[in-house]
Amino acid sequence: MKEKIHFCDNLFKDSPSGPHLLGCVCKQCGKVFFPRTDFCNDCHGTEFENKELAREGEIYSYTITRVPVAQYPVPHAIGMISIPEDRVRVVAPLVYDGSIEYHIGEPVEMVIDTLWEDEKIVIGYKFKHREVGVD
Amino acid sequence: MRDVFIIGIGQTMFGRQPQYTAGELGATAASRAIEDAGIESRVIQVAYTARCCDASQTAEEVMKRVGVTAIEMHNCENACASGGTAFHLLWKDIASGFYDIGIAIGTEAMTTSSLAGGLVPAAKGDLNGLLGITMPGLAALNAKRLMETRGMSKEDLAYASVKNHRNACMNPYAHYKKPVTVEEILNSKMISDPITRLHCCPTSDGAAAVILCTKEVALRYTTKLIKVAGSVVLTAPYEFYDEDVCDASLIGILADAVYEKSGIGPKDIDLVELHDAFSPEELYSYECMKLCGKGETKKFIKDGCAEIGGCCAVNPSGGLQSLGHPLGASGVRVVCEIVTHLRHKAGERQQPNAKAGLAQMVGGSLTGLSSPAVGFMSILSN
Repeated sequence: MKEKIHFCDNLFKDSPSGPHLLGCVCKQCGKVFFPRTDFCNDCHGTEFENKELAREGEIYSYTITRVPVAQYPVPHAIGMISIPEDRVRVVAPLVYDGSIEYHIGEPVEMVIDTLWEDEKIVIGYKFKHREVGVD
Repeated sequence: MRDVFIIGIGQTMFGRQPQYTAGELGATAASRAIEDAGIESRVIQVAYTARCCDASQTAEEVMKRVGVTAIEMHNCENACASGGTAFHLLWKDIASGFYDIGIAIGTEAMTTSSLAGGLVPAAKGDLNGLLGITMPGLAALNAKRLMETRGMSKEDLAYASVKNHRNACMNPYAHYKKPVTVEEILNSKMISDPITRLHCCPTSDGAAAVILCTKEVALRYTTKLIKVAGSVVLTAPYEFYDEDVCDASLIGILADAVYEKSGIGPKDIDLVELHDAFSPEELYSYECMKLCGKGETKKFIKDGCAEIGGCCAVNPSGGLQSLGHPLGASGVRVVCEIVTHLRHKAGERQQPNAKAGLAQMVGGSLTGLSSPAVGFMSILSN
């Protein structure tokens, strides 16, 4: 049984309400950050409140990379995801089996998934199609 | 502030030249600029050198090779804007009265560097890089937005690559001197949809150098004065939620600043040399730099505005698409190209009646900051 590890610390977690990206909000100006920070480059605030970002987003742009990228299996789908509720845009891999089609503006949701496997199973976050109106 | 003038330019071939070190390439460019200016190298009072890969005391090495020692020298790293930064800092030194004459050099031996054989990587620790974004991947995300928001087709995205490869056939310094067709671009290897191999600049070695001085010094050597009308280096505002990635805020604020400082607006710019490491970048730069109005990119292309002979020739050199992008060198090379046109010495690729040109280089993407994160623009006029 291979060991499972997160590709990076303090970026995401699974919880009873589902998986979430771990952001924070500047207490002084309300700007939302992902990943978390300890300094607001807008208002120079240094106090933050942790915030789990909304899981739901929409595809701002995407691409399917056909050449090897680090340890990722090829082809590697990646998107820029707008999370309107938090006014944040994140970059994340998209769940992709070689045939799924994505389109700009489509609703997506965050999931926790395997990014790649070597001697360990490396876990990270991705986004996948979201059925609108279905929980 | 004093007015600053360009009296010498020099560059090497841009292409695969693994037999030369960055120091040797830089020295070739510097000696050509010194010869072009008609000066003795010992009159140079200050030197700035730009290099991004494996850099260590490059300015000192280059200048030793042209017989200049014991003066103030600096080495600059500012991503793709490094060469522009070297130029800009030299301009400030002379404009502010610290020195009367100096040299800015950009040099890079890419094919023998630690980056040889691969893509320019994300910075260590850059989250987007860890998630599998590459430089062409980032360009692909922006290109998709161009298609979505500006009605660009895949054929439209190939425009800058076709034009710039055509221009490069007339540039003796170009890496590629071979035209490419839209079909060849679309059918070349897919890198990151819709970016194919022929949308990407090649890996090249090269160097360029310019000599700047005061008016008083310039008039000792020439009567044909080319002035640095304005120069700007800025970092991005680091927005985390830009509404439109194709309306790159940094490029917009750089353009506004250089138009204001030079007193020369976009309608008076006859030619532009800009960052086109991935050809769709050039297309959204037209709007960002106000070379055309919002939503008018397709018309700008269709009307031939960006062609040599058009109202504002863009990348008449062949751009990074055809010369490659030796990171530290490109920012100085674009200045050399503008000067060549302002002197009306560009031969077959000459932009007719060129009176003012804009040199641009932007970069610093995939560093955890912004895309682009830093940029340089300068307007030169005769």
